[in-house]
Amino acid sequence: MAKVLEGPGMGLMKKWGITVPNYVVVTSVDELTRLGQANEWLKKSKLVAKAHEALGSRFKLGLVKIDLDFKAAEAATKEMIGRQVGSITVTQVIVSEMIPHKEEYYCAVKSTREGSEILVANCGGIEVESNWDRVKRLCLEIGQAPSPESLEKLSKEAGFSGALVKKMAEFAGKMFACFDSEDAQYLEVNPVVLRAADEELVALDAVTLLDGDAKFRHPDWNFAFAAEFGRAYSKQEVEVMAVDSKIKGSVKFIEIPGGDTAMLPAGGGASVYYSDAVVARGGKLANYAEYSGDPPDWAVEVLTEKVCSLPGIRNIIVGGAIANFTDVKKTFGGIINGFRKAKSEGKLKNVKIWVRRGGPREKEGLDAMRALKDEGFDINVFDRNTPLTDIVDKALQAK
Amino acid sequence: MSILANKDTRVVIQGGQAGVNAARRMAEFCYLIKRPLNVEAFVYPPDAGKTNEIPYGSGLIAIPVYKSIAEATKHHPTLNTSLVYIGADRAMKGGMEALDDSHIKVVSMITEGVPEKDAKILGAHARKLGKVFNGPSSIGIISAGACRLGVIGGAFDNLVLSKLYREGSFGVITKSGGLSNEIIWICSQFADGITTAIGIGGDAYPGTDYVSYLEMFENDPQTKAVVIVGEMGGDLEERAAEWYGAKKRRVKLIAVVSGFCQESLPKGMKFGHAGAKEGMKGEGSARSKSDALKKAGALVPPTFGALGPAIKETYQELLKSGQVKAPVEPATLPRLPKTVEEAMRADEVMVAPLIRTTISDDRGDEPCYDGYPASELINKGYEIPHIIGLLWDKRLISKQEAEIIKRIMMLSADHGPCVSGAYATILAACAGIGLSQSVAAGMIMIGPRFGGAVTDAGRFFKYAVDNKMSVDEFLAYMKKNHGPVPGIGHRVKSLRNPDKRVKELVGYVKSLKIKTPCLDFALEVEKITSVKKDNLILNVDGTMAAVLVDIGFPVDSLNGFFILSRTIGLIGHWVDQKRQDSRLVRLFDYLVNYAAPKRREVPPLK
Repeated sequence: MAKVLEGPGMGLMKKWGITVPNYVVVTSVDELTRLGQANEWLKKSKLVAKAHEALGSRFKLGLVKIDLDFKAAEAATKEMIGRQVGSITVTQVIVSEMIPHKEEYYCAVKSTREGSEILVANCGGIEVESNWDRVKRLCLEIGQAPSPESLEKLSKEAGFSGALVKKMAEFAGKMFACFDSEDAQYLEVNPVVLRAADEELVALDAVTLLDGDAKFRHPDWNFAFAAEFGRAYSKQEVEVMAVDSKIKGSVKFIEIPGGDTAMLPAGGGASVYYSDAVVARGGKLANYAEYSGDPPDWAVEVLTEKVCSLPGIRNIIVGGAIANFTDVKKTFGGIINGFRKAKSEGKLKNVKIWVRRGGPREKEGLDAMRALKDEGFDINVFDRNTPLTDIVDKALQAK
Repeated sequence: MSILANKDTRVVIQGGQAGVNAARRMAEFCYLIKRPLNVEAFVYPPDAGKTNEIPYGSGLIAIPVYKSIAEATKHHPTLNTSLVYIGADRAMKGGMEALDDSHIKVVSMITEGVPEKDAKILGAHARKLGKVFNGPSSIGIISAGACRLGVIGGAFDNLVLSKLYREGSFGVITKSGGLSNEIIWICSQFADGITTAIGIGGDAYPGTDYVSYLEMFENDPQTKAVVIVGEMGGDLEERAAEWYGAKKRRVKLIAVVSGFCQESLPKGMKFGHAGAKEGMKGEGSARSKSDALKKAGALVPPTFGALGPAIKETYQELLKSGQVKAPVEPATLPRLPKTVEEAMRADEVMVAPLIRTTISDDRGDEPCYDGYPASELINKGYEIPHIIGLLWDKRLISKQEAEIIKRIMMLSADHGPCVSGAYATILAACAGIGLSQSVAAGMIMIGPRFGGAVTDAGRFFKYAVDNKMSVDEFLAYMKKNHGPVPGIGHRVKSLRNPDKRVKELVGYVKSLKIKTPCLDFALEVEKITSVKKDNLILNVDGTMAAVLVDIGFPVDSLNGFFILSRTIGLIGHWVDQKRQDSRLVRLFDYLVNYAAPKRREVPPLK
């Protein structure tokens, strides 16, 4: 899943005919000032300014300012740009018009195994969170589009009446069109508001999750996907991602600050079992990592260097199941090179390394790992006869 | 028995190299279980009409490549299964093509990164047709002793270690490819092995889920228990639990679920497979799945490590109740023939080498010339003439000798466009011929009349010196046995118009105060011959030859000095013509003496 920030998310909705407030995304106050000269609405309307970053609880952090005139919006932008929140520096601010309204509603489309589900509620904002039973659903099979009648039925079920029945049905229909055509996995508008000026439904705030795998057929996805876990990717993580995008197979790396058990396991399935084992044993993970699909040895070497550079680590878990086609000798060659490099840079002092693996050329690979003992590494090597996660038990029991 | 893949499974593979690699793995399995290769065809439009060679035992089997599934099934009507190894952007089209063919009943997709929507469409389409769509991102399907689809099961040694050559009693369903192998191995060590193992792929919405396969296993009497390896995210495990708990099931269910680490990770941090994502409201966590499975009566060991003992416990119960009997292992198993390299490493064969070399070796990280690493030669100040010494005469020549060779090369590098070699290269270049062929055209000219007299000149001067001949004796010997003396005589140059190159080279070598018996002898010969005829001077070939023999180069290498030096010039001429974009050259009529008979009538054919 790939999260999209508000600006491009609203852009996609607008593309499919959903009314969104006027907005601009700026990277400096000057840009906003110039845009103010070009766009009348910026001077005429009340405005909202928000930090345009993948940050949770922006309101609490003072990164959402409402009810602003243009001058105040400029001041808010100036204040927000460059602000540091954890590892994120605010580089963009989205300034949009405030929509005077009385009623707030809810509409979402989500992916299901059968196809998708359209969700509608005649309450919105935080009210819908505490009244989840008021959300009504329309289930659709893959390839099936909702009929206007079924949407109106949904609208009525959700408690809409009068002219709003049709309006909400149309709004939900457009949401579905956007969801289906843009390979979305989740679209949520909360709140949908009834604009006082013209009684039109407007999408005020949007959550957009797209299927990153479908990027090949969406040339207009010219925006970057945002990190999904409420912080920006670190430099090391971005570097591994850059390697990952270039190679056959894959390498993945996510840092978890404060941990002391570093992970360097193989395979998307086994790596999570290894992480579980660490947590179950009371250990603290320093990272998540994974290499799979017989990646080239240099890519595994880069990953290994990142793992070895994690601060304060005491163990490295080089785990893995019995590979189908990943060449153990070759991928271990990359890990060994990474270890040697780290050691020559003075890293890996007092770090114990734990290895367990099977698969093509397992004997040669494990022998090469064992030989690292002679180079002064504190390394313990096990073969397929040691159950998968036992090295974690041994590592966390070792003193 | 088994499910999905069995002895009647006949496979078409859609895709290029990745598909060929899979076919090789499948052939290894077929060889192990002593059955013919189950892959009958490939579909890969760029290679349509060709064949892919798949090793089987010590032989090769040619499998035809077709441009479409329809064409493949027309030629191979027994095909019933397709494996999709096509890139994510074209995978759906390929999968649909296979599903829509009436012969194909099972489609398994290996491709990773297929858009969710495409996977759903394929799954729904298969269900509508009553067929099976497995994957995407599936490592494959394997039925012990019967059929392998894809690379699942790993290398040949692992197939044997995991006892995949014969049936066991455990079914396996996993999302993870790597863990499927691990579970197969565990089932073979803690129990009697597997019936069928299926990788359903780690995507959010696999085409076929646990429940469908559980239903199939339930109806397969050989399968006594099923092991599920689950992950956080989605609701497939909950559905499996629901199925298992719905009524009394014949098969026992053992399950583990990963993702408990999520509980102690920073909120929102997710990893693992694409499908391993918790829902918005916390559903799909490892704990909720694990609890649901336990509640439904499945055996759920607390950790992955406890899975082996749990499988063992189940197997012991099955043995005790008489539902399974201890398996009988075959006395012998086929061994995968080793490649020549592997057999040599194991000291099992001796190979008579086809060729022998005594000058160089590049099997290490860099070439070695006569044993010396190239980089070390460079770093210690050696130059091209030294490399010539090593490769042509297997010795490290002195600085002085290197200087002589360098000068010889500098003097011989080119001699203008009119000589045969350069002229031939220029003609070829003007005809639009490429560099290597044009240079070769020039090379072909090197022979007894142009540039190719160095070796012969050296040979005869050396013969004379070795046999202590006088100049007269030598000239008489040459006249009687060989004709004109190679290295003597020039088309243009003469005593009055001396060849400056010769003067230069002789002057330099003489200044070195080294012994030069051949050169001295050649100069004596010149004194006599040039008196007889003005242009019978020692030419550049003869001078080079004498000097090179004097510094110890073998006679047979001598022409090489001219060939090597002149190559520099020939390349220069080719590049020069290319740069000018020269046009095709044709002789003018007036440059030809037409001495052929005049035009006349052809007599009738007899």
